[in-house]
Amino acid sequence: MGNNALSRRNFLAGTSVLFVAGVATACSSGSSSSSTAGSKVTLTQWYHAYGEKGTQQAVERYASEYTKANPDIAIKINWIAGDYETRLNSALLSSDAPDLFELGDFRAANVKSGRLAPLDDILAPVKSDYAKAALDTATVNGKVYGVKMMDDVMMLYYRKSILAKAGVTPPQTFPELVAAAKKLTTGNQKGLFIGSDGVGDIPYLLLWSNGGDLVDPSGKTVTFASPEGVAAIGGLKDLNSSGALLQGFTTDWFDPSALVQNATAMQWCGLWAMPDIKKKFGDDFGVIPWPKFGDAAAPAVRVGGWYHLVNAKGKNVEAAKKYVDWLWIQQTALQKDWCVSYGFHIPSRKSVAAQTTEFSSGPAQEAAGFSQQYGHSFPAVWNKTTTTAFIQAATKIAKGGDAAGELASAAKTCQIELDHQNA
Amino acid sequence: MPSATPTRRTASRPAGGAPPRRRANWRAIGAFALLTGPMVIGLGVFKYLAIGWSFLLSFNEARGTLTPGHWVGFDNYAFLLKDDSFRSSLWMIVGFTAFIVPVTFVLSLALAVGVNSVRRGRAFFRTTFLLPAAVSYVAASLIWKMALFNGLPSGIANALGGLFGMHVQPWLSSTDPPLYWFVIVTLRLWLQVGLYMILFLAGLQSIPPHLYEAAALDGAGRWKTFRSITFPLLRHTNAAILMLVFIAAFQAFDEFFNLFNTGQAGNASAPVRPPLVYLYDSALGDQNYGVGSAGAFILTALIVVVTLVQGRLAGFGRKD
Amino acid sequence: MARTSTSRRESSGGRWRKTGRSPVATVLTYTVLGLLSVVFLVPFYIIVRNSMMNTDQVTSLNWSWLPSPATFSNYRDLFNDPSLPFGHALWNSLVIAVITAPVATMLGSMAGYALARIDVPFRGAITVFIVGTLMIPASVTFVPTFLVVDALGGVNTRWGIIAPGLFNAFSVVLFRSFYQRFPPDLEEAGRIDGLGYLGVYARIALPNSITMIASLGALSFIESWNAFLWPLVIGQDPSSWTAQIALSTFLTSQTINLPGLFAGAVVTIVPLALMFLVAQRFIVQGITASGLKD
Repeated sequence: MGNNALSRRNFLAGTSVLFVAGVATACSSGSSSSSTAGSKVTLTQWYHAYGEKGTQQAVERYASEYTKANPDIAIKINWIAGDYETRLNSALLSSDAPDLFELGDFRAANVKSGRLAPLDDILAPVKSDYAKAALDTATVNGKVYGVKMMDDVMMLYYRKSILAKAGVTPPQTFPELVAAAKKLTTGNQKGLFIGSDGVGDIPYLLLWSNGGDLVDPSGKTVTFASPEGVAAIGGLKDLNSSGALLQGFTTDWFDPSALVQNATAMQWCGLWAMPDIKKKFGDDFGVIPWPKFGDAAAPAVRVGGWYHLVNAKGKNVEAAKKYVDWLWIQQTALQKDWCVSYGFHIPSRKSVAAQTTEFSSGPAQEAAGFSQQYGHSFPAVWNKTTTTAFIQAATKIAKGGDAAGELASAAKTCQIELDHQNA
Repeated sequence: MPSATPTRRTASRPAGGAPPRRRANWRAIGAFALLTGPMVIGLGVFKYLAIGWSFLLSFNEARGTLTPGHWVGFDNYAFLLKDDSFRSSLWMIVGFTAFIVPVTFVLSLALAVGVNSVRRGRAFFRTTFLLPAAVSYVAASLIWKMALFNGLPSGIANALGGLFGMHVQPWLSSTDPPLYWFVIVTLRLWLQVGLYMILFLAGLQSIPPHLYEAAALDGAGRWKTFRSITFPLLRHTNAAILMLVFIAAFQAFDEFFNLFNTGQAGNASAPVRPPLVYLYDSALGDQNYGVGSAGAFILTALIVVVTLVQGRLAGFGRKD
Repeated sequence: MARTSTSRRESSGGRWRKTGRSPVATVLTYTVLGLLSVVFLVPFYIIVRNSMMNTDQVTSLNWSWLPSPATFSNYRDLFNDPSLPFGHALWNSLVIAVITAPVATMLGSMAGYALARIDVPFRGAITVFIVGTLMIPASVTFVPTFLVVDALGGVNTRWGIIAPGLFNAFSVVLFRSFYQRFPPDLEEAGRIDGLGYLGVYARIALPNSITMIASLGALSFIESWNAFLWPLVIGQDPSSWTAQIALSTFLTSQTINLPGLFAGAVVTIVPLALMFLVAQRFIVQGITASGLKD
């Protein structure tokens, strides 16, 4: 702490802040680091706080296993609760920046600000083991900057017995979905839950399920205001005026409570909720992708998941890359442990996914199939600004706004943002 | 009333400070510096350094970096003022302020006077009204969203509405009529009224009781006593609280952010987004610090202008 | 001193009776206050009720007045989770608030007094300097402030969480307005006794502003206790988490631990309620400026 003067001068001069980082690390007490005694290098690794029990202990175990094999390198885990991205973004600007971190949706802006180290060399031997989309999303100007850790697929859950009782088959098209939702609405039970606001993530699914996309493959032009987009997102209006949507439920779409409490017969939710739903209903549930909008298009699911990244401005970029290589490329047993021993995620490596028994039958297997067949992810240029413009337009359309006009004006806002990002 | 006048005059005339002895000026400066020094230095380090930095950034394209270096002049300001959703957030916050400020002010003053006027149970009422201040916005928003104003027939608001023949409403996503305002306003009042009530109470406590006794001898009624003694004597408290309520209204963030938060998508589907939610998304969400800072200064300018106009209108800025 | 303050309390308690209040008005006041109290307390009832329910009960479609069966395991789980040091987080919050509230209030009182009562040439400029910080939204200057504190080595430390919160223009404004109304003859009496500016402040102004200090101290305690964004960013290490940060771990992007959240809310509200009860006595008994004059 006696080095404040020095650190301030360094800081003001904008030079290396190596020293301060050391001081700050030394100041933090009782941290959850593995043994650092005798290690030459300590890497700081950030995870967001996973909700599942045992995950924090798991990543710490991985870290100490690595230190056992490589006594020179210690890993200090920071388990970040709350608003992960806000904290990460501030920390990356500061002297106490992590060497390694994960990120929910890959963002190209981080490459542009020079924060990410390319990982092509460690990915090269196993590239074919990943889905193309997982690599493409993390690719900027021909270089790959992130290793996908796991896939979280989002899809439509339905209650088999309720559909059977009402004489409804799982819907294959959007009009069938609306009709089914209406038919399944009785008393306190609504037909469909897509989010407490009646919008949720569904605008994306509608767009994708009619062959549209948010931006073109180059990431330079906004494309969601296309005729396909206007027609499909206009479908939100039908859903909202059907009287079959559950709205204002106590929890939102990413929590399975609405389905579990019998408040709805169908719910859009994530793979992560499957253990809870299974616990409650046993085999009395099924999953389908979001139905295709018209006959010409294909169904869609959203694939999220986390990427592991290396801070290019860290002190030990090579050591950090070596650790990523060890954990997320070589240690397939640990990857499997991570994905299925605590929560429920699809391993991003096809070979690892093949080793799991969890995804070899039933709805889980179907879900893994959807992600291969119908999966869509947000493009790397998609951020808060574009999300807000797009979803605000969709919300207005859901309440009866003019789809073409709203989407065109949102597209204009998004295009300005893209132009800035690509400038 | 007459005995109160000199106090007011001495206090508010800029040149009429306490010591009449002019030659003690250096001692006054010394004392002033000692008393204000810690605050001035603290604000200088923790606020003004950041404010100056942000101001510089507002003229730069600063994405993912806090290092100014890409000068763009007034581009960020122009972008925001041209952006429909930012402009509408400014209009929204002006309307919201115009409504919430008088309501908060009158309610908390009324509560303070009411609580102060009862003989028994004063401590109970005071604690009850202040207690919500102990609840964080996150917890309070969850209660409002999940229990009071959920869209289920069993929700409290819907159950009460049912008694009056209202249909079940999804309160937060109802835009026609905009029922979400009712949720926002009740949440804000519940959390804040107690705070201001306590400040008014502290002001009321320091009104000399003999003034009330004199008024009683003159046979003044309650309303007249309030108008001619309580309110005028709370003048400085009123002005200070009014300003704080104003600024708090313009900087409204937490209830909007938490009530409409839908997890990963954030606040995108919210029917109303105040400027700070917009700026939070730009600066802390997208790390677009240039636009975020520019927006903060546009909002600041609006706050300064409105505070000055309001001060004029309410007569608090008038010289005696 | 003791005598005068007692006599004042009696008179202030009875002031409205002397203004000739009718029994009808009394009943009306109590009725309105009573109804409002119920409205104000309902959300607390829900928080406490939910804290004794499991997720199924909380999200149930049917309303229930009381949890059946009630469970206290939420509270047990709260303190028994090895990955979530909730007890330690409560301790951190307490230490931070106990330091912040008195120091921030004193600094506010000092500055507020000087701005109200000591006439120096640049007083207006200093006032604008201090009050001006209220007008600029903190959430946007937030990241630069983080870098300033980082440069001073404050990340992951308690003082890093505390320091920026000590300088609160809010309390300066309120103290200034309070001291502006302070009777000048009291100060004059002190000067005649040979007190300097600081002496007048410490011996006369300060003891006569206990009501204000208790009120603003309580508010400052609340603010520090409920602070979220700043401790979130500064306290990256679990050892420096505050109770609010620990609570926020129940709200992740994919799962919400509702029972934990409500039980945690109860546990974080109770210390504040206790603090109010202590502060109450001072707010009620605060010696008003006029008390000394008699």
